[in-house]
Amino acid sequence: MRMTFVVNGRSRTLDAPPLARLLDILRGPLGLTGTKEGCGEGECGSCTVLLDGVPVNACLVVAGQCDGRTVLTVEGLASRDALSDLQEAFVKEGGAQCGICTPGILMAAHALLATNPQPGEGEIRESIAGNICRCTGYQRIVESIRHAAKEQAARESG
Amino acid sequence: MPLVGKSVPRVDGPAKVAGTARYVDDLTRPGVLLGATLRSPVARGRLRGIRRDPSFDWTGVTVVTAEDVPVNVVALIEEDQPVLASDEVRHAYEPIALVAAEDPVRLARALRALTAEIDPLPPILTVADALQRKAQIHGPDNIFATYRISKGDAAKAIAESPVRLTGTYRTHHQEQLYIEPQGMLAFWDGRGAHLVGSLQCPFYVHKGVKRTFSLDDAHVDVTQAVTGGGFGGKEEYPTLLALHALLLAKKSGRPVKMIYDRQEDIEATTKRHPCEVTISSGCDREGHLSAVSIRIVMDGGAYVTLTPVVLSRSALHAAGAYRWDHVAIEAVAVATNTPPNGAFRGFGAPQTIWAIERHMDRIARELSADPLALREKNLLRVGDTTPTGQFLKESVGVQRCVEEARSASGWERKRATLGPAAAARPVSAILRRPVPGGSASRKARGIGASVFLHGAGFTGSGERNLRGRVAIDMFRLLAEKKPRFRIRTASTDIGQGTETVFRQIAAEALWVSMDRVDFATPSTATVPDSGPTVASRTVMIVGSILEHAARDLFARIEQDRQEHGGSFDDAALRLIARDGTVVSEKTYETPADVVWDDATYRGDAYPVFGWGCDIAEVEVDLDTFETTVLGFWAAQDVGKAIHPVMCKGQIEGGTLQAIGWALNEKVVFKDGKILNARMTNYVVPTSLDAPRFTTILVEDPYSKGPGGGAKGIGELPMNGGAPAIAAAIEHATGIVRDDLPLLPEDLFEARRAGT
Amino acid sequence: MNPAEIALYPFERPGTLAELCRTLSARAGRKERTVLLAGGTDWIVERRLAPPEDPNDLPLVVDVSRLPEMRGITVAREIATIGAAATFLEIKSHPVLSRRAPVLTAMAREVGAVQIQARGTLGGNLASASPAADGAAALMALDADVVLASIHGERRVPLTQFFTGYRATRRAEDEVIVRVEFTLPRTGAHQVWRKVGTRAAQAISKVALAAVAEVARGRGVRSGFGMASVAPVTVSLPSVRALGLAPSLASVSDEELDAATRRDIAPIDDLRSTAAYRAYVASALVKGFFRELRMAAGS
Repeated sequence: MRMTFVVNGRSRTLDAPPLARLLDILRGPLGLTGTKEGCGEGECGSCTVLLDGVPVNACLVVAGQCDGRTVLTVEGLASRDALSDLQEAFVKEGGAQCGICTPGILMAAHALLATNPQPGEGEIRESIAGNICRCTGYQRIVESIRHAAKEQAARESG
Repeated sequence: MPLVGKSVPRVDGPAKVAGTARYVDDLTRPGVLLGATLRSPVARGRLRGIRRDPSFDWTGVTVVTAEDVPVNVVALIEEDQPVLASDEVRHAYEPIALVAAEDPVRLARALRALTAEIDPLPPILTVADALQRKAQIHGPDNIFATYRISKGDAAKAIAESPVRLTGTYRTHHQEQLYIEPQGMLAFWDGRGAHLVGSLQCPFYVHKGVKRTFSLDDAHVDVTQAVTGGGFGGKEEYPTLLALHALLLAKKSGRPVKMIYDRQEDIEATTKRHPCEVTISSGCDREGHLSAVSIRIVMDGGAYVTLTPVVLSRSALHAAGAYRWDHVAIEAVAVATNTPPNGAFRGFGAPQTIWAIERHMDRIARELSADPLALREKNLLRVGDTTPTGQFLKESVGVQRCVEEARSASGWERKRATLGPAAAARPVSAILRRPVPGGSASRKARGIGASVFLHGAGFTGSGERNLRGRVAIDMFRLLAEKKPRFRIRTASTDIGQGTETVFRQIAAEALWVSMDRVDFATPSTATVPDSGPTVASRTVMIVGSILEHAARDLFARIEQDRQEHGGSFDDAALRLIARDGTVVSEKTYETPADVVWDDATYRGDAYPVFGWGCDIAEVEVDLDTFETTVLGFWAAQDVGKAIHPVMCKGQIEGGTLQAIGWALNEKVVFKDGKILNARMTNYVVPTSLDAPRFTTILVEDPYSKGPGGGAKGIGELPMNGGAPAIAAAIEHATGIVRDDLPLLPEDLFEARRAGT
Repeated sequence: MNPAEIALYPFERPGTLAELCRTLSARAGRKERTVLLAGGTDWIVERRLAPPEDPNDLPLVVDVSRLPEMRGITVAREIATIGAAATFLEIKSHPVLSRRAPVLTAMAREVGAVQIQARGTLGGNLASASPAADGAAALMALDADVVLASIHGERRVPLTQFFTGYRATRRAEDEVIVRVEFTLPRTGAHQVWRKVGTRAAQAISKVALAAVAEVARGRGVRSGFGMASVAPVTVSLPSVRALGLAPSLASVSDEELDAATRRDIAPIDDLRSTAAYRAYVASALVKGFFRELRMAAGS
């Protein structure tokens, strides 16, 4: 099936089985290997991407349902010159250890901060409750997201 | 510019957050085939053969069986485990055959078109059956290893003690559940065998490949890809996977990539050893400990793998962080027809620390003593001797850990005010009798503590035998005017921050900025064997070799500068101009005063110990027996925190794994097979399950630790979480659990049984 | 089967409900199987676990997620109408539902986690007929009706009659669930969603209680329950319902509630939990709810 969707701001058209997973389309023909597979059944969240701005598990989304929609992956977070506030925070505040869950968590956090720029700890934890991390114990991840929210707010207020 | 002690940005962070870090499944090679494994569906049996469905079109499909394996052993401590089963299977999921094909549909169909013909045999599934020798599945007595540790006369001293107590404590399997599954990419070329994979120990894989394919050092090259978690689960297992991938690559003549799916990973790879510990102790009425006798029985699964070392560590930690005048420890590991158990953070210590800590709580109950005060009376100090006769010379920060955790958590107040206020309400059996109603609070709160230790570095003579090496190269890039440095070590970064911390250590010792120091990808072709990334040895041991190499290089540059003048950089460049790449390589020298006797199991079991005190505050819902961890205080003596944020990350991550082991995780076996081999039903904590941690770094430096005294930290946090939680639940509800896990169903049953 | 095998399934996206119904009718007539795909969070997992199907006899996968007749949430004259393709995310963020039917929005908030909520739909949840389905339990407590469409038009089935057995519903082969409807509980109604899962998020229920009750002058005037994971189907707890309509809530005893709960459930031991634990928790949750009602009735 021929399908077109916007990935990280660019329109991409390709031919693929409609029931291929969005995850495999991203990692395969689109060459975006930043989105990871940890379980293939929507439990670990390491395949989280934003579909029309909303976090989804790409291992459970079929390509045919993405036709005409917008996808944002971890490769779309940074600007040409710099990592995003979230990405920087994870580097500096210990939010990433082995890094395999990191792309998925960044996407979930990005979606959170887009709609809730000053989240409380409970809201942060709830927004990433679908992302399993085995390395950090989550505390440094929460700190990183909180830190990024502050940076973002400071930048936006002037 | 002090770098040590500073939480610098994580060096491999930018690639990881940008999604450009390349894990093995992100890699490929032209012509690559995908590989898969045919596994035994039964726990034990005679393998008669492998049948191929003749109606399947086998063109382009490669099949490998035991006949294709040149030397059919996985080289580890012993060589009892075959690469592929040849005439018998000893555990469910044992690999029998391998298949490779170009596309995943073909691969799946080919795998289904293969059948292993097995005559099942009655399996040994319990330790009891193994010890009773219901069948001989390993050696004459089904025993993998035995250790004995003895100090004084424990039996006599216990008999003479005013307070004598005995308890049996059990721990269960645990799955490492690294979020990146096992994976390997293999290919052959004129230079030999090549592997890139998700792994902790490139030289372990190297050794296994040399043995199975009869190759020499130069013809095997193993490279670590960015690795998404290991925790011990990628210590020894990847060797087997590497051999599988290489076999398929050899037979097909193509590169082969094998990535486990999650179910296969949970089913077939190693787990934490389940363990049963019986403790008898003697002490006086004031709680001064005198004597302890401990029997440890571990289930090793079907093959030896690393069981003797796990058992050894379990025995060496069994008496806990306490002073005992008399100790008798007997440890035995037994074979069963279950998937082989292996390395998992803590490596035997979490099991026996669970036991000794629950036993200390038993003593506290008996004496109506505050559990922390009881422990404090008996903590090991500098100048004390451990059960193996090790004289503790330095760096015993446990007292401070207890003080810090106690004061940060509000221990005294909470011990007094929380507790079984609403807890003493009996549950009627199967609702036949009325349960007293009322509107009293249906939640109970409690606080509990654990005190623990973890030997850093290899056990006993391990480091002495290993003689790990680290090299630093100094060179100049054409476009640059200053020297650059490159660390070459086999120590891998598996998330714990090796790449960053090693650069800190090296840069500080060389008096250069971190951005001038590179960390070479661990590849056996280019780095020296520093030893495996295990045993909490990476910073303490390998980091000290690195520091030594860096200081040596600095001294050489300094000497040249003294002789010929100019700046540090001038001198460095002169050396480079003279020698090309300047190499400083150092080998680990075990300090002369670390003395260990393998035969008698006496002496300095570890160069030094890390210490900790964990305090957990919980709320138990009496309608559902769900436990919520409201707060957790972890005070841990790390010697010296080279990177405080990473240190805390290790403590928090390890502690949450311990909490998960207690409250959520359980491997469910039936007939030797795992029923819950998926992430939906092997349950690990989410961000909403994890408590807020208060992590306190205590620094009691180790004189031989790098960066001013760093000790091992990777495993220590795994030892304290579970007993602290159990103690807190006990305080909240009065429910005493001596076995893990502490699932709601377990607490419910315990309450029903009136314990 | 692996994802590459799932990718072999044929796929269609009808543009309208009418087109879908025609397809369903024709295929049912020819005894050809059809899979109705909304969010895919159940179906894809279920396919991963299932053995492969004959590649020459695969069902047709039909995407219903964008059908306008199945989307959207509206509230008019105290009736809430939720499209079968409405996601849990849409439900949990709906302001009127949050205020008037918090049992439903609380349930939506605890389905899996954000990623699952963004894709999972009520229609999918009901059609799967899993006894652990959280949406089914909450809707049962709200006394919802299921509306089915086919080429013959629409028909409604009360949810309490919709499930006929383990993973079986009254939906015929040529029908599709298009929406659910329920009367909003009065402002001030007591509503509870209590899910006991294997952990705090990303969990399947071991027991989940949904309850809606209205109390007037000490007596129950509306009493709806749904409980997950205690029987082969979602149970409506009829004996407990009856007690909820008692003339005097204050006189309903814990003993009666225990007995009623026990009568209405048939829990089993399985991988997630045990029958004894489920029975205990089911009863404890019901008694907890009635404790609240008695306190409200008393005041």
